[in-house]
Amino acid sequence: MSETTFMGVERNKIDWKPTIDYIKCDFCMECTNFCPHKVFEVRESEEIKLIVKNPDNCVVFCRACSKICGPDALSFPDKNATTQKIKEIRKEESNA
Amino acid sequence: MLEKYAILPCNGLDKCAGVISGEIAKKLCEGKKNEIICPVFYRVAETKYNKMAGEHPVLVIDGCQTRCASKLAAEKNIKISRKVTITEEAKAHNVKINNNLRLLENENALIEIILTALNKTEDKLTIIHAEPSGIYDFEYDTYQHGKFIFRVPRNPEIYYNENDCWAYIIGNHARVGVTDYVQQNLSDILYFTPPDIGGIIDQFGDVGEIESSKSVFELISPVSGKVISINETLVQKPELINENPYELGWMVEIELTDIEGDKELLIGFDKYFEIMKKKVEDLNG
Repeated sequence: MSETTFMGVERNKIDWKPTIDYIKCDFCMECTNFCPHKVFEVRESEEIKLIVKNPDNCVVFCRACSKICGPDALSFPDKNATTQKIKEIRKEESNA
Repeated sequence: MLEKYAILPCNGLDKCAGVISGEIAKKLCEGKKNEIICPVFYRVAETKYNKMAGEHPVLVIDGCQTRCASKLAAEKNIKISRKVTITEEAKAHNVKINNNLRLLENENALIEIILTALNKTEDKLTIIHAEPSGIYDFEYDTYQHGKFIFRVPRNPEIYYNENDCWAYIIGNHARVGVTDYVQQNLSDILYFTPPDIGGIIDQFGDVGEIESSKSVFELISPVSGKVISINETLVQKPELINENPYELGWMVEIELTDIEGDKELLIGFDKYFEIMKKKVEDLNG
Protein backbone atom coordinates (compact mmCIF):
# COMPACT_ATOMS: atom_id res chain seq x y z
CA MET A 1 0.00 0.00 0.00
CA SER A 2 2.59 2.57 1.01
CA GLU A 3 4.42 2.02 -2.26
CA THR A 4 1.74 3.55 -4.46
CA THR A 5 -0.58 5.35 -2.06
CA PHE A 6 -0.22 7.66 0.89
CA MET A 7 -3.11 7.99 3.31
CA GLY A 8 -5.27 6.18 0.82
CA VAL A 9 -4.46 8.64 -1.99
CA GLU A 10 -2.55 7.58 -5.07
CA ARG A 11 1.00 8.82 -4.63
CA ASN A 12 1.22 10.42 -8.04
CA LYS A 13 -1.65 12.74 -7.14
CA ILE A 14 0.33 14.25 -4.25
CA ASP A 15 2.82 16.96 -5.16
CA TRP A 16 5.60 16.26 -2.68
CA LYS A 17 9.18 16.15 -3.87
CA PRO A 18 12.44 18.03 -3.39
CA THR A 19 13.28 20.93 -5.68
CA ILE A 20 16.96 21.49 -6.32
CA ASP A 21 18.23 25.08 -6.35
CA TYR A 22 21.02 24.75 -8.89
CA ILE A 23 22.50 28.10 -7.88
CA LYS A 24 23.18 26.75 -4.39
CA CYS A 25 23.80 23.06 -5.18
CA ASP A 26 27.49 22.14 -5.27
CA PHE A 27 26.80 18.54 -6.39
CA CYS A 28 28.30 17.07 -3.23
CA MET A 29 25.77 14.19 -3.64
CA GLU A 30 25.16 13.84 0.09
CA CYS A 31 21.42 13.77 -0.61
CA THR A 32 21.53 10.94 -3.10
CA ASN A 33 23.98 8.99 -0.98
CA PHE A 34 21.60 9.35 1.94
CA CYS A 35 18.15 8.84 0.38
CA PRO A 36 17.25 5.13 0.32
CA HIS A 37 14.28 5.71 -2.00
CA LYS A 38 16.24 6.54 -5.17
CA VAL A 39 14.54 9.91 -5.58
CA PHE A 40 17.65 11.49 -7.09
CA GLU A 41 19.77 10.45 -10.06
CA VAL A 42 23.42 11.34 -10.60
CA ARG A 43 24.47 12.33 -14.13
CA GLU A 44 28.22 12.61 -13.84
CA SER A 45 28.91 13.36 -17.50
CA GLU A 46 26.40 16.20 -17.75
CA GLU A 47 26.58 19.81 -16.61
CA ILE A 48 23.57 19.33 -14.31
CA LYS A 49 24.94 16.39 -12.38
CA LEU A 50 21.94 15.74 -10.17
CA ILE A 51 18.22 15.59 -10.93
CA VAL A 52 15.03 14.54 -9.16
CA LYS A 53 14.44 11.38 -11.15
CA ASN A 54 11.68 9.64 -9.18
CA PRO A 55 9.54 12.26 -7.41
CA ASP A 56 6.85 9.74 -6.49
CA ASN A 57 9.39 7.68 -4.55
CA CYS A 58 9.77 10.59 -2.14
CA VAL A 59 8.07 9.89 1.20
CA VAL A 60 5.34 12.47 1.66
CA PHE A 61 6.28 14.95 4.44
CA CYS A 62 9.85 13.63 4.67
CA ARG A 63 12.47 16.39 4.29
CA ALA A 64 15.43 14.47 5.60
CA CYS A 65 17.60 15.15 2.52
CA SER A 66 17.17 18.90 2.99
CA LYS A 67 18.26 18.50 6.60
CA ILE A 68 21.62 17.13 5.58
CA CYS A 69 22.16 19.47 2.63
CA GLY A 70 25.15 21.67 3.50
CA PRO A 71 24.47 24.40 0.90
CA ASP A 72 20.72 24.36 1.73
CA ALA A 73 19.83 23.74 -1.89
CA LEU A 74 16.74 21.54 -1.40
CA SER A 75 13.23 22.79 -0.75
CA PHE A 76 9.82 21.17 -0.38
CA PRO A 77 6.18 22.23 -0.80
CA ASP A 78 4.24 23.67 2.13
CA LYS A 79 3.15 20.88 4.46
CA ASN A 80 -0.14 22.41 5.46
CA ALA A 81 -1.18 22.98 1.85
CA THR A 82 -0.22 19.39 1.04
CA THR A 83 -2.32 18.06 3.94
CA GLN A 84 -5.31 20.09 2.78
CA LYS A 85 -4.87 18.79 -0.75
CA ILE A 86 -4.78 15.19 0.49
CA LYS A 87 -7.98 15.79 2.45
CA GLU A 88 -9.65 17.28 -0.63
CA ILE A 89 -8.69 14.32 -2.79
CA ARG A 90 -9.92 11.86 -0.18
CA LYS A 91 -13.21 13.72 0.06
CA GLU A 92 -13.65 13.82 -3.72
CA GLU A 93 -12.90 10.13 -4.00
CA SER A 94 -15.25 9.15 -1.19
CA ASN A 95 -18.04 11.15 -2.86
CA ALA A 96 -17.36 9.69 -6.30
CA MET B 1 25.34 29.54 30.28
CA LEU B 2 25.78 28.65 33.90
CA GLU B 3 27.90 25.58 33.49
CA LYS B 4 31.37 25.27 32.09
CA TYR B 5 31.12 23.92 28.56
CA ALA B 6 33.53 22.18 26.26
CA ILE B 7 32.76 23.81 22.92
CA LEU B 8 33.19 21.87 19.70
CA PRO B 9 32.80 24.29 16.77
CA CYS B 10 32.69 23.64 13.05
CA ASN B 11 36.05 23.99 11.37
CA GLY B 12 34.64 25.30 8.11
CA LEU B 13 37.25 27.94 7.41
CA ASP B 14 36.18 28.10 3.77
CA LYS B 15 32.58 29.03 4.52
CA CYS B 16 31.10 32.04 6.25
CA ALA B 17 28.93 29.87 8.50
CA GLY B 18 32.06 28.07 9.64
CA VAL B 19 33.81 31.34 10.41
CA ILE B 20 30.76 32.45 12.43
CA SER B 21 30.85 29.15 14.31
CA GLY B 22 34.48 29.72 15.27
CA GLU B 23 33.80 33.31 16.29
CA ILE B 24 30.96 32.28 18.60
CA ALA B 25 33.17 29.63 20.18
CA LYS B 26 35.87 32.24 20.83
CA LYS B 27 33.39 34.71 22.31
CA LEU B 28 31.98 32.06 24.62
CA CYS B 29 35.47 31.49 25.95
CA GLU B 30 36.25 35.15 26.60
CA GLY B 31 36.51 35.73 30.31
CA LYS B 32 34.73 32.48 31.09
CA LYS B 33 35.70 28.97 31.99
CA ASN B 34 34.48 27.48 28.71
CA GLU B 35 37.09 25.76 26.57
CA ILE B 36 37.31 25.05 22.86
CA ILE B 37 37.80 21.60 21.38
CA CYS B 38 39.80 22.13 18.18
CA PRO B 39 38.30 19.74 15.62
CA VAL B 40 41.52 19.51 13.65
CA PHE B 41 43.73 18.74 16.61
CA TYR B 42 41.08 16.35 17.92
CA ARG B 43 41.60 14.21 14.84
CA VAL B 44 45.25 13.63 15.60
CA ALA B 45 45.43 13.83 19.40
CA GLU B 46 42.29 12.96 21.24
CA THR B 47 43.34 12.38 24.84
CA LYS B 48 43.11 15.99 26.01
CA TYR B 49 39.72 16.58 24.42
CA ASN B 50 38.23 13.25 25.45
CA LYS B 51 39.05 14.20 29.03
CA MET B 52 37.54 17.65 28.58
CA ALA B 53 34.38 16.23 27.01
CA GLY B 54 34.09 13.66 29.76
CA GLU B 55 34.29 16.26 32.50
CA HIS B 56 32.06 18.97 31.05
CA PRO B 57 28.86 19.23 29.00
CA VAL B 58 29.60 19.63 25.31
CA LEU B 59 28.17 22.40 23.16
CA VAL B 60 28.42 21.63 19.44
CA ILE B 61 28.30 24.53 16.97
CA ASP B 62 27.72 23.25 13.45
CA GLY B 63 28.20 25.73 10.62
CA CYS B 64 25.83 24.14 8.12
CA GLN B 65 23.72 21.05 7.77
CA THR B 66 26.64 18.93 6.74
CA ARG B 67 27.02 18.77 10.55
CA CYS B 68 30.74 18.03 10.57
CA ALA B 69 31.10 18.93 14.24
CA SER B 70 28.15 16.71 15.23
CA LYS B 71 29.56 13.86 13.18
CA LEU B 72 32.94 14.27 14.82
CA ALA B 73 31.24 14.14 18.23
CA ALA B 74 29.49 10.93 17.17
CA GLU B 75 32.72 9.43 15.89
CA LYS B 76 34.46 10.21 19.16
CA ASN B 77 31.50 8.94 21.16
CA ILE B 78 30.94 12.29 22.86
CA LYS B 79 27.57 13.05 24.38
CA ILE B 80 26.23 16.36 23.04
CA SER B 81 24.49 18.49 25.67
CA ARG B 82 23.58 21.46 23.50
CA LYS B 83 23.74 22.21 19.82
CA VAL B 84 23.48 25.15 17.44
CA THR B 85 23.53 25.16 13.63
CA ILE B 86 24.51 28.54 12.21
CA THR B 87 22.63 28.30 8.90
CA GLU B 88 19.47 27.21 10.70
CA GLU B 89 19.73 30.11 13.13
CA ALA B 90 20.26 32.51 10.23
CA LYS B 91 17.09 31.19 8.60
CA ALA B 92 15.10 31.30 11.82
CA HIS B 93 16.09 34.92 12.47
CA ASN B 94 15.86 35.95 8.82
CA VAL B 95 19.50 37.01 8.66
CA LYS B 96 21.22 36.66 5.31
CA ILE B 97 24.86 35.72 5.72
CA ASN B 98 27.30 36.54 2.96
CA ASN B 99 29.25 34.24 0.69
CA ASN B 100 32.72 35.45 1.63
CA LEU B 101 34.65 34.91 4.82
CA ARG B 102 34.37 38.36 6.38
CA LEU B 103 32.21 39.02 9.40
CA LEU B 104 30.19 42.09 8.47
CA GLU B 105 27.10 43.71 9.96
CA ASN B 106 24.69 40.81 9.37
CA GLU B 107 27.14 38.18 10.57
CA ASN B 108 27.93 40.12 13.74
CA ALA B 109 24.22 40.66 14.40
CA LEU B 110 23.62 36.92 14.06
CA ILE B 111 26.49 36.19 16.43
CA GLU B 112 24.92 38.44 19.06
CA ILE B 113 21.50 36.82 18.57
CA ILE B 114 22.95 33.34 19.02
CA LEU B 115 25.02 34.32 22.05
CA THR B 116 21.96 35.88 23.69
CA ALA B 117 19.88 32.78 22.95
CA LEU B 118 22.53 30.47 24.34
CA ASN B 119 22.52 32.42 27.57
CA LYS B 120 18.73 32.28 27.80
CA THR B 121 18.15 28.61 26.97
CA GLU B 122 18.81 27.34 30.45
CA ASP B 123 16.18 29.71 31.86
CA LYS B 124 13.66 28.29 29.41
CA LEU B 125 14.40 24.71 30.34
CA THR B 126 13.68 25.39 33.98
CA ILE B 127 10.00 26.16 33.30
CA ILE B 128 9.24 22.87 31.59
CA HIS B 129 6.69 20.72 33.38
CA ALA B 130 7.92 18.10 35.77
CA GLU B 131 8.21 14.90 33.82
CA PRO B 132 5.40 12.43 34.42
CA SER B 133 6.15 8.74 34.25
CA GLY B 134 6.53 7.24 30.79
CA ILE B 135 5.86 3.62 31.74
CA TYR B 136 2.56 2.27 30.44
CA ASP B 137 3.17 -1.47 30.12
CA PHE B 138 1.82 -1.56 26.59
CA GLU B 139 1.23 -4.92 24.95
CA TYR B 140 3.55 -5.25 21.94
CA ASP B 141 3.55 -7.20 18.71
CA THR B 142 6.93 -7.80 17.13
CA TYR B 143 8.24 -8.30 13.63
CA GLN B 144 11.74 -9.67 13.13
CA HIS B 145 13.79 -9.05 10.01
CA GLY B 146 17.32 -10.42 10.19
CA LYS B 147 18.82 -9.32 13.45
CA PHE B 148 16.39 -6.41 13.81
CA ILE B 149 13.27 -6.67 15.92
CA PHE B 150 10.54 -4.10 15.41
CA ARG B 151 8.02 -3.66 18.21
CA VAL B 152 4.68 -1.92 17.83
CA PRO B 153 2.28 -1.41 20.74
CA ARG B 154 -1.19 -2.78 20.27
CA ASN B 155 -3.33 -0.20 22.01
CA PRO B 156 -6.55 1.35 20.70
CA GLU B 157 -5.55 4.77 21.99
CA ILE B 158 -2.33 4.84 20.01
CA TYR B 159 -2.63 6.23 16.49
CA TYR B 160 0.07 6.29 13.82
CA ASN B 161 0.81 8.25 10.70
CA GLU B 162 2.54 6.81 7.67
CA ASN B 163 5.65 8.76 8.63
CA ASP B 164 6.33 6.35 11.50
CA CYS B 165 5.29 8.64 14.31
CA TRP B 166 2.74 7.75 16.99
CA ALA B 167 0.35 9.64 19.24
CA TYR B 168 -0.99 8.16 22.47
CA ILE B 169 -4.26 9.87 23.29
CA ILE B 170 -4.81 10.55 26.99
CA GLY B 171 -8.03 12.57 27.42
CA ASN B 172 -7.54 15.87 25.60
CA HIS B 173 -3.77 15.44 25.48
CA ALA B 174 -1.53 13.24 23.37
CA ARG B 175 2.00 12.10 23.80
CA VAL B 176 3.93 11.88 20.58
CA GLY B 177 7.04 9.99 19.55
CA VAL B 178 8.65 7.85 16.87
CA THR B 179 8.25 4.14 16.20
CA ASP B 180 10.82 1.38 16.40
CA TYR B 181 11.21 1.64 12.62
CA VAL B 182 12.62 5.16 12.92
CA GLN B 183 14.96 4.48 15.79
CA GLN B 184 16.29 1.30 14.16
CA ASN B 185 16.98 3.14 10.91
CA LEU B 186 18.69 6.07 12.61
CA SER B 187 20.66 3.76 14.93
CA ASP B 188 22.22 5.56 17.91
CA ILE B 189 20.30 8.77 18.51
CA LEU B 190 22.66 11.44 19.74
CA TYR B 191 20.55 14.52 20.09
CA PHE B 192 16.95 15.60 20.60
CA THR B 193 15.92 19.12 19.62
CA PRO B 194 12.59 19.83 21.30
CA PRO B 195 9.97 22.23 19.95
CA ASP B 196 9.09 25.46 21.75
CA ILE B 197 6.66 25.05 24.63
CA GLY B 198 3.41 26.82 23.75
CA GLY B 199 3.93 26.42 20.01
CA ILE B 200 0.84 25.71 17.89
CA ILE B 201 1.27 22.66 15.67
CA ASP B 202 -0.71 21.67 12.59
CA GLN B 203 -1.30 17.99 11.93
CA PHE B 204 1.85 16.71 10.18
CA GLY B 205 3.76 19.77 11.34
CA ASP B 206 7.23 19.37 12.83
CA VAL B 207 7.49 18.96 16.58
CA GLY B 208 11.17 18.54 17.13
CA GLU B 209 14.07 16.68 15.61
CA ILE B 210 16.21 13.74 16.51
CA GLU B 211 19.65 13.23 15.14
CA SER B 212 22.07 10.36 14.76
CA SER B 213 25.41 10.20 13.01
CA LYS B 214 23.45 8.99 9.96
CA SER B 215 20.75 11.60 9.66
CA VAL B 216 18.29 14.07 11.10
CA PHE B 217 14.64 13.05 11.49
CA GLU B 218 11.82 15.55 11.89
CA LEU B 219 9.11 14.32 14.22
CA ILE B 220 5.97 14.68 12.12
CA SER B 221 3.11 15.24 14.52
CA PRO B 222 0.14 12.92 14.00
CA VAL B 223 -2.06 15.43 15.83
CA SER B 224 -2.73 19.15 15.85
CA GLY B 225 -2.69 21.30 18.98
CA LYS B 226 -0.46 23.17 21.39
CA VAL B 227 2.85 21.92 22.73
CA ILE B 228 2.44 21.81 26.49
CA SER B 229 5.38 19.69 27.53
CA ILE B 230 8.50 18.00 26.29
CA ASN B 231 10.35 15.00 27.63
CA GLU B 232 13.22 16.92 29.14
CA THR B 233 15.01 13.69 30.03
CA LEU B 234 15.70 13.12 26.33
CA VAL B 235 17.80 16.27 26.12
CA GLN B 236 20.36 14.55 28.32
CA LYS B 237 19.47 10.95 27.48
CA PRO B 238 18.37 10.77 23.83
CA GLU B 239 19.34 7.10 23.84
CA LEU B 240 16.03 6.41 25.62
CA ILE B 241 14.40 6.81 22.19
CA ASN B 242 16.43 3.81 21.00
CA GLU B 243 15.84 1.83 24.15
CA ASN B 244 12.14 2.46 24.68
CA PRO B 245 10.61 4.60 21.91
CA TYR B 246 6.96 4.25 22.90
CA GLU B 247 7.18 4.82 26.63
CA LEU B 248 10.27 6.42 28.21
CA GLY B 249 11.18 7.76 24.77
CA TRP B 250 8.04 9.87 24.29
CA MET B 251 9.07 13.24 22.98
CA VAL B 252 6.33 15.85 23.12
CA GLU B 253 2.97 16.29 24.83
CA ILE B 254 0.29 18.15 22.90
CA GLU B 255 -3.00 19.64 24.02
CA LEU B 256 -5.39 18.49 21.32
CA THR B 257 -7.51 20.88 19.30
CA ASP B 258 -9.16 18.64 16.67
CA ILE B 259 -8.51 15.01 17.44
CA GLU B 260 -11.62 13.77 15.62
CA GLY B 261 -10.54 15.61 12.47
CA ASP B 262 -6.96 14.40 12.89
CA LYS B 263 -8.08 10.79 13.18
CA GLU B 264 -9.34 10.89 9.57
CA LEU B 265 -5.71 10.84 8.44
CA LEU B 266 -4.35 8.46 11.05
CA ILE B 267 -4.17 4.69 11.23
CA GLY B 268 -4.37 2.14 14.00
CA PHE B 269 -2.13 -0.75 14.96
CA ASP B 270 -3.23 -3.27 12.31
CA LYS B 271 -2.68 -1.00 9.33
CA TYR B 272 0.55 0.51 10.64
CA PHE B 273 2.00 -2.90 11.41
CA GLU B 274 1.42 -4.00 7.81
CA ILE B 275 2.86 -0.77 6.37
CA MET B 276 5.90 -1.00 8.62
CA LYS B 277 6.57 -4.61 7.63
CA LYS B 278 6.45 -3.67 3.95
CA LYS B 279 8.81 -0.74 4.51
CA VAL B 280 11.28 -2.98 6.31
CA GLU B 281 11.16 -5.54 3.52
CA ASP B 282 11.46 -2.93 0.76
CA LEU B 283 14.42 -1.22 2.38
CA ASN B 284 16.31 -4.28 3.49
CA GLY B 285 15.38 -6.77 0.82
